[in-house]
Amino acid sequence: MAEIKEEEGPSITEKRITTHRKRERIPAIYFAITLLVVMVVLFTIGNRNFLSAYNVNTITSYSAILLVVGLGQMSTILIGGIDLSVGGLMSFVSVVLVIALKTIGAWAFPLCLSVGLMAGYINGTILTRIKIPSFIATLGTGGILTSLALLVSPLPVVVPASSYGLLDIVNGTLIGMPNLLLLTLVIFIFFYVILGFTTAGRNIYYTGSNIKMSWMSGIDIRRTRNFAFMLSGLGAAIAAMMQTCSQFGGDPTMGKVYILQSIAAVVVGGTALTGGTGGAVNTLIGALILGVMENGMNVVGVDAYFQQSILGIVIIVSVALTFDRSKTAMIK
Amino acid sequence: MKAKKPVLELRRVTKSYPGALALDAVNFTVWESEIVGLIGENGAGKSTLMKILIGLIQPDAGQYELRGNPVTLRDPANAARHGVGMVFQEGSLVPNLSIMENLFLSHEIGFRRFGFLSRRAMRETATSVLSLVKVTSDLDTPIADTTPAVRQMVEIARLMWLSRLYRQENPVLILDEPTTVLTEGERKTLFTILTEIKRQASIILISHRLQEIVGNSDRIVILKDGRNVTEFEAEHANIAEIENRMVGHTFAAERYRENEQIEPMNEIALEVRNLSKRGVFEPITFSLRKGEIVSLVGLVGSGKEAVCGCITGLEKPDSGTISLHRKKLALGSPSETVRAGIGHIPIDRRSEGLALGMTVADNVNLLVLDKLKAAGLINPPLEKKNALRMIEECRIKTPSFSAICANLSGGNQQKTVIAKWLSSKIQLLVLDHPTRGVDVGAKEEIYRLIRNLARDGISMIIMCDTLEEDIGLCNRMLVMKDGRLVSEMSCSLARKPNPSDIIALIV
Ligand SMILES: Nc1ncnc2c1ncn2[C@@H]1O[C@H](COP(=O)(O)OP(=O)(O)OP(=O)(O)O)[C@@H](O)[C@H]1O
Ligand SMILES: [Mg+2]
Repeated sequence: MAEIKEEEGPSITEKRITTHRKRERIPAIYFAITLLVVMVVLFTIGNRNFLSAYNVNTITSYSAILLVVGLGQMSTILIGGIDLSVGGLMSFVSVVLVIALKTIGAWAFPLCLSVGLMAGYINGTILTRIKIPSFIATLGTGGILTSLALLVSPLPVVVPASSYGLLDIVNGTLIGMPNLLLLTLVIFIFFYVILGFTTAGRNIYYTGSNIKMSWMSGIDIRRTRNFAFMLSGLGAAIAAMMQTCSQFGGDPTMGKVYILQSIAAVVVGGTALTGGTGGAVNTLIGALILGVMENGMNVVGVDAYFQQSILGIVIIVSVALTFDRSKTAMIK
Repeated sequence: MKAKKPVLELRRVTKSYPGALALDAVNFTVWESEIVGLIGENGAGKSTLMKILIGLIQPDAGQYELRGNPVTLRDPANAARHGVGMVFQEGSLVPNLSIMENLFLSHEIGFRRFGFLSRRAMRETATSVLSLVKVTSDLDTPIADTTPAVRQMVEIARLMWLSRLYRQENPVLILDEPTTVLTEGERKTLFTILTEIKRQASIILISHRLQEIVGNSDRIVILKDGRNVTEFEAEHANIAEIENRMVGHTFAAERYRENEQIEPMNEIALEVRNLSKRGVFEPITFSLRKGEIVSLVGLVGSGKEAVCGCITGLEKPDSGTISLHRKKLALGSPSETVRAGIGHIPIDRRSEGLALGMTVADNVNLLVLDKLKAAGLINPPLEKKNALRMIEECRIKTPSFSAICANLSGGNQQKTVIAKWLSSKIQLLVLDHPTRGVDVGAKEEIYRLIRNLARDGISMIIMCDTLEEDIGLCNRMLVMKDGRLVSEMSCSLARKPNPSDIIALIV
């Protein structure tokens, strides 16, 4: 058979090749940012007051707390798991904080942090020891924590006025900025650095991306898993403390709404439920989207019955964009 | 051959990816009842071309004709209706479904009787379809419990059945590197079956083992850098000539770089004493010197894989000790062995070697993150620097250091795994079929890397694709049979043994 001669040179220009690059690499976060911008524009058109200082403050306060739980939640999602116990933990921490403020004063804060870390450690250990999926294990621990919160909760769960000074750690301001936002910023940077620039954080990504390879490459899976769940416990505990302080009182059912909200913030921001891709910036965008949506739909007067389904659609689309289908043999 | 008609014709097909022009105006024709061997370096565009044939991806430009009619295939299901199907490099069956369920998956319509699926009709058809590919396993076995060979055969049978279901004469069957996962015997069976199927179908065969391409195809097509290089009848083929056309330069007769083989140093690196695992291998004792390459040979089931598994910490032995430079290793824990300086290049790079969804840099730097820090934190410029150095050293073909690994071609993924271990300080490297699915040029690269490692005093245990490769590369050979070490022979430069002598010991 005759040889086929070489055809003339490349038919696609360099330029076209390079314009594609960025879009293919991080489509999820671009989608999220676009969504955020579009929503802000739409809500502003719908109601002039959407961008008023008062309303922006409402949105950021809500988003800030959601971001803090979300960042923790994200750590467990990055590793390929999920933490359904954040709700129970938040409720529990909220009650513990109120009680502890009365008895041990400022020591209540480190106590609550350790409660969060401890809960995360227990979650991680249960996963390793009993070898069950994280959504089951954390569903269990979350339930236990919710019960505990209700059991130990004093009535009323309010912080005594004598301790209000201590709450300034959250409620006060520093050079004109509310402490709540400054704290959130610090926590965001903490997660950003831990996940992106430390070995322990990177190991979360490797494990989420390919657990077998990670194990074979010498990554300590158990430690990485504990670490991810401790980060989640930490985030939930801090979020609960923020909420409790800003409301001058605890609530033994406080965390309930945050279970799904935190997961939504993570996935809407573009972190894949299948693990291994995403990050702190994604969750920041995700938390803002949810904050803007919750508030905006009320501000422009979307029917309350309708709000949930819009949220649902946004979540489904986001997950559809980021879900790595090659990792799941069958959709159950 | 002149009387035959073309079944499938691609004209001037072009496909670009961000940073890579995978196919550049490629022409490709398949005739009736022939086996076409498609070869080319890693990243030449073979898999991409095949994905276009089955509608998995759409070309940027070019025409596609099937049996003389222009077609646009939307997806693989659509291609199946046109009698074009592919057995993927990575397999596409559903692991938790049975052989039979996989065979008819999403095309069960034909078995509907009064609204129900007729299991009996399905069984009958399954048995007859599977007899074509000589599979006799129980139809209800979950795919996860079958060997790669059976899986492949089920895929082939499925494609043949689909073309019959949709009444397509002379279907086109695409096999992308089918033999990489097969044993010697299974390979033979595969080719017997293919020759039989050829009477009623055309087959496109992709492989990096040129020997089997030349031996089994009628016509050979070579791609290089996404372009047609040449095509010719297999009868007149000469392997050295083909390699030359594929890579663009000739290869030395010293295929395994034997001239660079060094005498290992005197110092003992690895010492394995009375290592055993019940029912798998009996107590075994051996040692490796610094810079020594030892090849472990034996049939599947001879216990050699398990011995390596114990050394790399993936498996836990029942008794015995392993020490590296006189330090005893904790057994059965990869994190301990990796810390001690033992590396492992696994046989299955996709599931065991790489974080496919992460970048080349992330994969290459996995083991050395602690060294890429400034002020206690991982430093992106240092990460980039190390990644670029390793990409250069291992000659990984990638659009950038931040390209996602899943988008690299098979051979370049393998080089990424090797780069990962090379960048860390290892003292012993276990290489499990390191050149599997790797083109001739890249093989040569890997041999070069192996020789460099030996010169740097790193000891290696290798298990290769062919005996020739084992013999060519190693200083010493350990032969295992039925879980026992049966022979040990020197493979020093002066005294390379004959493959046939070793085969006699293995079987
Ligand atoms: N989804 C993708 N995104 C970006 N680049 C891609 C993608 N798929 C393939 N490529 C690039 O296209 C080129 C051709 O890849 P292809 O997989 O077709 O090679 P191949 O000939 O099959 O190689 P191998 O023998 O290693 O399997 C490579 O440079 C690869 O990096
Ligand atoms: Mg390929």
